[in-house]
Formats: sequence, structure tokens, C-alpha cells
Amino acid sequence: MTALLDPPSAPSAPEPTPQIDDVPRSIDPGLPPSDRIFFGVSRVIGFSVFIIMAAIGLFLGFQSIPTFKRYGFSFLTESAWQPDKDVVGISAVLVGTFTVALVAMSIAFPLALATSLYISEYAPAKFKSFLVSMVDLMAAVPSIVWGLWGFFLIQPKAIHLAHWLHTHLGWVPFFHVDTDPEASPWAQTRYAASAFIAGIAVSMMVLPMAAAVMRQVFSQAPVGEREAALGLGATRWGMIRSVVLPFGRGGIIGGTMLSLGRALGETIAVVLIVSPAFDIKFRPLEIGTSTISQLIAGRFGEATSSQLAALLTAGFVLFIITLIINTLAAMIVARSRSGAQE
Amino acid sequence: MTTAPEVNSLIPTYTDAPATDVVHVRGGSLNAVGVSAWFGSNKVLEKVSLEMPANTVTALIGPSGCGKSTFLRILNRMHELVPSAKLSGQVLLDGDDIYDPGHRITETRKRIGMVFQKPNPFPAMSIADNVTAGLKLTGTKIGKSDREALIERSLTRAGLWKEVKDRLKEPGSALSGGQQQRLCIARSLAVEPEVLLMDEPCSALDPTSTRRVEETIHEIKDQVTVVIVTHNMQQAARVSQQCAFFLAQLGTPGDIVEAGPTTEIFGNPRDPRTEDYVNGRFG
Repeated sequence: MTALLDPPSAPSAPEPTPQIDDVPRSIDPGLPPSDRIFFGVSRVIGFSVFIIMAAIGLFLGFQSIPTFKRYGFSFLTESAWQPDKDVVGISAVLVGTFTVALVAMSIAFPLALATSLYISEYAPAKFKSFLVSMVDLMAAVPSIVWGLWGFFLIQPKAIHLAHWLHTHLGWVPFFHVDTDPEASPWAQTRYAASAFIAGIAVSMMVLPMAAAVMRQVFSQAPVGEREAALGLGATRWGMIRSVVLPFGRGGIIGGTMLSLGRALGETIAVVLIVSPAFDIKFRPLEIGTSTISQLIAGRFGEATSSQLAALLTAGFVLFIITLIINTLAAMIVARSRSGAQE
Repeated sequence: MTTAPEVNSLIPTYTDAPATDVVHVRGGSLNAVGVSAWFGSNKVLEKVSLEMPANTVTALIGPSGCGKSTFLRILNRMHELVPSAKLSGQVLLDGDDIYDPGHRITETRKRIGMVFQKPNPFPAMSIADNVTAGLKLTGTKIGKSDREALIERSLTRAGLWKEVKDRLKEPGSALSGGQQQRLCIARSLAVEPEVLLMDEPCSALDPTSTRRVEETIHEIKDQVTVVIVTHNMQQAARVSQQCAFFLAQLGTPGDIVEAGPTTEIFGNPRDPRTEDYVNGRFG
């Protein structure tokens, strides 16, 4: 405002106000070249992951068309797999797949929960990183090693556990085995090579993933709420129950489902341990079962082209199931408080 | 023990206090004796001694990093939650050392409650459940009608009852920041502590909420001994009867420069550094 200082002079024309359009204007400064290159490269890589996944799904889907055309809905309901008799179906295999996964998860879930709670809440700071790396190391053990471990070290012990479970809980259909538990000598082979033993081996493979996801969310539980609980006179366990577990619920569910997705597809340990069987049964302690991945691995080498198409169809079903489970898991983790923060 | 007679003389007699509802009408006396504290090898407090008489409000003032929050957290055993934290000295609650191995940490923390800088209600719990969370966490059983009375009494004491009485079932996180902080005060009061520690309870609040919290402090000090850390000099002058000025010279652990009645600290400080600080010349 210079008007006050200037002596009054000849009245000048009022200054024209610049015309401003009342529309949203562009305020994007644009990206420098280095950022543009980086964005471009990372976007291509990110999309290629998506494209590869879609390509696998499409490939399996197209390969499945002839099988579905030939067998129709019976492909999902038929239990036998006898391509030479023109009878193929995956119902027994599906049941076996879920039985092995169920056994694996019921062992892995409590172990993973306890491991992750111990590491994040109780372990002394010095010990913590050592434990984390040990659990990570479990994930690095090749699955063939877990399979051998299950076959040579666990199976001889597990058949006694299976026999004990059958003897005392045999009235529950789930623990039943088609043999007389009181017979002496009891039929050890009826308890070997079962979904139960395969499940134990698979549980060790999926435990690290579940434990890692749970530990991550537990360690994110807000310090303020932890201190609030402790400051009110809570014990450490009381604090965990009222703050850490409710906060980590999404991670617990999500981590469990992610490992379930892996347990459903686990192959080599199952191939090593179980002896193939194609009847629909819910008796995991009993000898023999089949899973989709075991079926594919076992029959792939000798398959004719139409058999190969049937195996790929079974693979397609497994792909869809794990896709659904993993997507649900990702949604649960993302929607929970622990996943949404940061 | 020179404290006992002085403490007793400070206990007000409440002939007009409502006899109903109030479980205990007197707070506990706290006495810190030669308290030093470390984080790892870094010493942050050097032999601090301070008496916090029953039923008074003691304000801890001083610039950032002088150890006053650490001192406060030592008073109810929150300091040791930091893995590298160590301490020496004694903290006497009514003459008993709270660090004595014979005392349970949970019992000590129940008797000496704490309100934190950032309001931290349990977000998944309703307002009513937040108030009674302390009972649940300490395994204290309470009947349904007693529970409702306790909720009303605690929220009233924290000055929040009128605002939330029709929405007790809503989650605690639905409240405004100032209301959340008063909910946290109600939650602390519900376990009937003898001492309430407040770590800058108003630093995240607007002036109106700050005034409400200060009113609350005024009202509860008849039943609870209050120790409050504050960066706000006016607040210290308004709410406290006793004041302790902490200072940490560069590179040395924190210590109390001067402690005494608030009127003395603000009106007639003995140490020039205190005078400079309370008059806003540094810090």
C-alpha cells in the first residue's frame, strides 16, 4: 500500500483485477525423470506378478475345459481315480487334502500362537532375535527334509499316539480306525502312513509363516494401551488378553489362513508319508489318504494326454481353493485394526 | 522417618464429605528416597528425594529431558517396563518400599494409578467397560448394581458423567480427545487408588478440556494424592499445592533444584535457576 506515502496525484484508473477462472486448476508439478523411470520399472514388475498369476489361472482353466466337458459335475463328486476305466473324480482327494490340512493346522495354530506370544511378549530382549531367526530357519528347511523327518523320526512314535487316541477317543468318528485297538499285538501298520502323520510334517512347514504374521501384529499392539492395562494393575497375561490378543485378532486369523493355503498345497512330505487311498473317509489316524498335490505328483510321469488334462483340472481346483483362502486371509488382515494402521 | 507427623497433620477431616459411595477418603503418602535411574549406562536421575504428602497435589516441573517423567514412572513401577531401565533408592508408599521384593507389582500399580500423556482408552471396549476395565484386569468381582454405581461415581468424579450417561455402550474411541482423557481418569479412579500419577495429562488437549481436567484434579485431591508432571507453568500454579523443579545440566543426570510449596516456588524461589524457569526465561 503505497497510497499513504505518495502525495495525492491525478486520480489514476483502478487497477484491473486479473481474471481468475473458478475451476479446479492443475497443481501437479510432474515427476523428475529419475522418479519416472523408477515408477515405470516398479509398475511393470508389479503388474507382471499379476499377469503371471492370471496366466497360470487361465492356462489351468483352459486345460480343464475338456475334462469338465467330458465328466461334468461328477468330476467333483466321484471318488475313484481310474483313468483306464474312464472314471476320474476328486471328491476323495479333496477330502484327503482338507483332512491333512486340518490336522496340520490344529497342530500348527496353537504352537504358532504360543511361539509368537512368547517371542513378542515374554522372551528377554537378547534372546528374541535368536528365536526369531530360529523360527525363520524352520521355514528354510526344505520340505523333503520335513518329509523324511516325518517318515523316519515321527512315524514310529506317532503310531503309538494314534493307537492311544483310537483306544481312548475311538468313539469319536474322527479318531476311529478300522481295526480292533484291543487286539494284541495291535495292528501297527493300520496306523502308519496316515493323514495324521503327514499332517504333523506339514504343520512344521506352515508354522513359521503363521508365527511370523502373528508376531508382527502382536509387536504392533499400541504401547499406550499396554501401559494403560499394566498401570491399572493387570498382570502381563491380563494385559495380553485385554490388549494384545484383541488387537492382533486379524493377524491371528489371517496368518492361520495363509498357512492353511500353504498346507493345502504341500506335496512332497505327503507323497513320502502317506500311502494313496481313494475312499472318502474322515479317519485321519488310519492308513492311507490322498491329496490333490500328491495325486498330481504321483500320476504325472505316467499320464497320457487325457489323464494329464484330468490332473491339470485337479490342479485348477486346488488353485481356485487356495486363491479364495488367501484372498480371504488378505482381506481379514487388511480390515483388522492391526493391518489398517501404518 | 520424619514424614509421619507432617503427613498426619495434612490429612483433612471431612465432616461434610458424603459418607456414602466413597470407599476411602484419604490418599496415600509417597516418599521417594535417593532415587537414581539409568537407561542402559546413561544415568538420567541422580539421587532424587521428594516427599509427596497425602491429599496434596504435587507438580513436577522442568524443561524437557530433565527426568521428571522418568521419576513419575518410577513411582508406580512403570519405569522397569523399558528393558534397559535400572534404578536405585526407595519409594515409600505409606512408609512401605514399593520395590520391596515382598510386594506384588500388580498390587502396587493398583494402589498407585496413572494417567498418561496421550489418552489411551481401550478402543474395543465401551465407555462403561473402559471404566471397569481395571476391576476386570485385577480380577475384582463386582455385582451388577454396584458396577453401575461405580461407573456413575467414577465418571462423575472425572467430570464426564453428564456428557456420556446416555451413551455408555458406545466405544471409548468415539469420544473427543478431552473426553477420552477424562475417561482414562475415571478408569484410574474406579480401582480406588491411593495415589494418582498424571504424566502431562493435558498436553494433547484443548484449553476447555484442560480446564475440565484441572477441575477434576481439584475435586479428587480430597480422596487421592496427585502427582502431576506438566510443562505448563500456569497449570502447575493453578492445580498444585507443592512443586518440585527438576533440571538436568548438559551431560549430567536430572535432579531436583528446588521443591516446596507452590506459592514459594512461584512467588519467592530460593534458586535463581528456578526463578528464571518459572518466569519463562529458559526452558
